[in-house]
Amino acid sequence: MRSRNGNYSFTRTVLIFLLSSLALDAKEYLISYRYVVKDATLYNESLSVSSSMTKCVGKPTKSLNLISYGDDDLKQSILKNPELFVDYVHKLGLQIESKDITKNFVNSSTTILTLKTTCFKVDFNENLVSIAPLN
Amino acid sequence: MKYSLLLVVLLSASSLIAQVSQAPQTIGSFDKIDSLENQVSDIDSQMGTLEGKVSSVDDKINTVDRKVSSIEQQISGVDTKMSSVENKLSSMNSNMTVMKNMNDIVAPEKEAVLSKTTNLRINVIGQGVAPMNTASPAQAYALAKRAATADAYRLIAEKVMGVRIEGQDTIKNMMVKRSTVHTSVKAMVRNADIIETTFKEGLCEVEMEIILLHAQF
Repeated sequence: MRSRNGNYSFTRTVLIFLLSSLALDAKEYLISYRYVVKDATLYNESLSVSSSMTKCVGKPTKSLNLISYGDDDLKQSILKNPELFVDYVHKLGLQIESKDITKNFVNSSTTILTLKTTCFKVDFNENLVSIAPLN
Repeated sequence: MKYSLLLVVLLSASSLIAQVSQAPQTIGSFDKIDSLENQVSDIDSQMGTLEGKVSSVDDKINTVDRKVSSIEQQISGVDTKMSSVENKLSSMNSNMTVMKNMNDIVAPEKEAVLSKTTNLRINVIGQGVAPMNTASPAQAYALAKRAATADAYRLIAEKVMGVRIEGQDTIKNMMVKRSTVHTSVKAMVRNADIIETTFKEGLCEVEMEIILLHAQF
């Protein structure tokens, strides 16, 4: 990594500064998501996003890039890209809880899919938001 | 008086003589009667022997009839056994045909089992419908697809984990008053892939696939 002019220490200093500045933008968020399907119709959907109060442990995996809509508002970014986020959450894995009741030969079903509260590392860049769960 | 007595004696003597003179004729008739009686007794004895013979013939006929009836019963028993054997054979043939059909149906698809060398691929089709009042067809499609995806996930969970079932029937006065069946499943599913999505006449169908590896369990 020695530069052509031999100014090695200067280049290293600049790189360290740039990397540290990028790392400073990374935040940790707790995200939980849940939707309810009742009798084959989407009944309820809830998304909870909050910044983590404590340091999360783990390494980021399977990142997703969403288009940022300014103000570093992660929830808005997710709500503006619902299809991408839901497909991504499905890939991560959802807890499934399904209950069917057949009363006097009439059936009704309720299926709840839940992403349990998970810590995500979130990087806000100019136009993109990168989120990755910490496992 | 003496003469009258003599006359009476003479008359009685003459009547006796007359009776004596008629006696041989009655003796002859007695003989005939005796001979007739002998003949009748002979005929009676012959009749007795004939009756005895007739009764023995009747006995023989009765025994023959009994034997015939017993043979007929045996034949009927054999017939019933034959019919039962034929019924059993026909039922066995029908069972064989059913088993052959079952083999024809089942044989091509052997039940897949997860092992160290083979992975298990599970395909399901989830169905969902859009709510009644949606802002646009696109929203209806998106919501129906979400519901169909959830249904597909449920089906995968049911296939992999199994279903817990609880049933309760209430019967009162020999009538079913209430019938309730609860089914539930709980699972964690990840890495399922959507293969195909179709939306037709308000119904969205999502075909989903998951590949199970032995190392995951």
